[in-house]
Amino acid sequence: MKKKITPYLLVSPYIIHFLVFVAFPVGFSIYLTFNDWNIISPMKFIGLSNYKRLFNDAIFWKSVFNTLIFLMIHIPLQIIIALFLAELLNQKIKLRGFFRGAFFLPVIVSGVVVTILWQQLYGYDTGLLNRLLIKIGLGKVGWLTDPSWAMPSIAVMATWKNVGLYIVLFLVGLQTVPLQYYEAADLEGATHIQKFFKITLPLINPTIFMVVVLSTIGGFSLFIEPYVMTGGGPLNSTISAVLYIYKQGFFYYHMGYAATLGFFFALIILSVVIMQKKFVEKDK
Amino acid sequence: MKYVKKIMFFIFTTAFISCNSNSDSKKIGLLYWSSNNTEEIEFARYIVDNWNKEHPSAKVVFQPVPEGQSSEEIILAAVVGKTTPDIYSNMWEGDVELYARAGTLVALDTLEGFKKFIYERCDSAVIQEVTSEDGHIYQLPWKINPVMMLYNTNIIKSLGFDKAPKTYSEFFEAAKRFQKDSDSDGYVDRWFGYSEVLVTWWQRFFDFYPLYLAASNGGSLIKNNRAVFNNEAALKVFEFLREVYKRNYFARERLSARQDVFLSSVIATRFTGPWEISHSEKFKPAGFEYDFQTMPVPDDHRGSTYTYGDPKNIVIFKSSPNPQLAWKFLQFILSEENDLKFLEITNQLPRRKMIDENPIYSSYFLKNPKMKTFAEQAKHVKGTDQSPVLKEVFDLISQEYEACVIYDKKTPKQALSDAEKAVNLLFLK
Repeated sequence: MKKKITPYLLVSPYIIHFLVFVAFPVGFSIYLTFNDWNIISPMKFIGLSNYKRLFNDAIFWKSVFNTLIFLMIHIPLQIIIALFLAELLNQKIKLRGFFRGAFFLPVIVSGVVVTILWQQLYGYDTGLLNRLLIKIGLGKVGWLTDPSWAMPSIAVMATWKNVGLYIVLFLVGLQTVPLQYYEAADLEGATHIQKFFKITLPLINPTIFMVVVLSTIGGFSLFIEPYVMTGGGPLNSTISAVLYIYKQGFFYYHMGYAATLGFFFALIILSVVIMQKKFVEKDK
Repeated sequence: MKYVKKIMFFIFTTAFISCNSNSDSKKIGLLYWSSNNTEEIEFARYIVDNWNKEHPSAKVVFQPVPEGQSSEEIILAAVVGKTTPDIYSNMWEGDVELYARAGTLVALDTLEGFKKFIYERCDSAVIQEVTSEDGHIYQLPWKINPVMMLYNTNIIKSLGFDKAPKTYSEFFEAAKRFQKDSDSDGYVDRWFGYSEVLVTWWQRFFDFYPLYLAASNGGSLIKNNRAVFNNEAALKVFEFLREVYKRNYFARERLSARQDVFLSSVIATRFTGPWEISHSEKFKPAGFEYDFQTMPVPDDHRGSTYTYGDPKNIVIFKSSPNPQLAWKFLQFILSEENDLKFLEITNQLPRRKMIDENPIYSSYFLKNPKMKTFAEQAKHVKGTDQSPVLKEVFDLISQEYEACVIYDKKTPKQALSDAEKAVNLLFLK
């Protein structure tokens, strides 16, 4: 008897934690999607109304579209810059340790601090970027005030903030490539570019996949940047899905609807990650 | 994962408040939560000390509302966790209907002597404003901070005006004279005014809403679960503000994260409240002079100029075991003498009728002439309409405001019509 109980006792902290902090919230959220609830009044069962509303909610679909736009800019940009910098930092250059630290620094700085700093850089009249543009004879750009520029501007800022983490991941990947491949390529007279595309890139493919998945999941949770910098504007051009869900839940207390949006958005993320996985597996 | 932090914060706040049970108030008389700014804490402490001296058998424990992202969030968490205090001062008027409908507030008009008290303190318009849709009164009008036009006196004089602009035409003329491209780069960098361009619903309390109240002589946005703002006054306000942005008299970029643009004379006016006085007095450069004036109105406007009063009121939660004692304590807080103390400590206006003419307060206004302007304005202020979906109403208006006024993507007529339809849909749900 004692033998049977002990293993359960040993795993019970995890099981309790899982039930309280994972299973119950997920189950409760799904239950909420069929209810109208503003936290303080009793819940009202409304069947599939929240789902019907979701399909007709233009702002929600706009927010999903905005999030995808963000991902389409942010992920390729992040991979290219991170890989390029990792390749440089993998060489024997002066002050290599300093540069590795410097590129990683934004990752550990608070997201709110970074967004406020970039807000100053992006300022229309006083921002450094527009001052530079004027100096070289170009016109000003409404980085955060022009609906077509606002989301790309946020994507660039998010890339700057996160690129250090992916440099580290790529550095790990690059250091796993056996040196003898490069020595053999040198003997064959391969150029640096040929070595990169024919040896490095194929061998760090698993790292690239990991970076794509991590950036995708991270990108789908875009929140602080638009929340602090633009509030979702101008004209809803930077409202991300998570920001919209947050507004529904914590501005207007539409907990049932917010849960429905969250649940549906989780399904979208899951589908995208499965597609990415299938794509990579097919590639193998 | 970033939004998870916000949700976790909410959960932990709820947990914190839940742990912090009302056992103190059960042992003694009442638990009173005040706002958590320094001045209001000082006032609450003064009030509670004096009450406890006079009523040793019915002691009140005071506590500033626990720290959180906003006091609204904390109150919500307390209601959910059933850990509300007996009394909370600083309840935003627009939130009351939501809590009243959820049955968490005491209907004050059922308490003995309430009606006599409120008719002595407030005029009928204020009483009507705080009356809920079910005909009961769940909040006691406490304080206001009217939104007015702050202006730089020296700049207005230098533009050739004796006084700040009162009408839209005067505003445009002054703005035209002040607007400048200081560094000759082809772009304006000195604007006549500034208002936050964020679409966040409450930002409209500092542009559209007070201007609408001014143009409509204190009109409503919603009545009997219908939008009533698609009218001539709102149209004029949208047209005025759209023109202001179109002519670049207000900046479209956010100026709030840099050095104070008003005190550094980058702008000449701002729509703001009396809290600006202590800030300006502390940080203004030598020789800087400023004053306040009523909100600009359409050229053909007749009558008094209304504005948004940003009222905060006092409520008694149903969790209170002794609402009659709580009501007695409220009468103590809101006595004429304690209102004076409140005014002196916080520089915020008690919401009582004819405060500018009441001799009890005259010495304060003599010492603080700028506050006298706000006291005079207090006769013509309005709070919000009573509705549980008020934030969404403001959000929907704000969406259309942004599209029309700031980015000129819609005509004012179209924007107001779209906002009206969206708000009416809200009530159909």
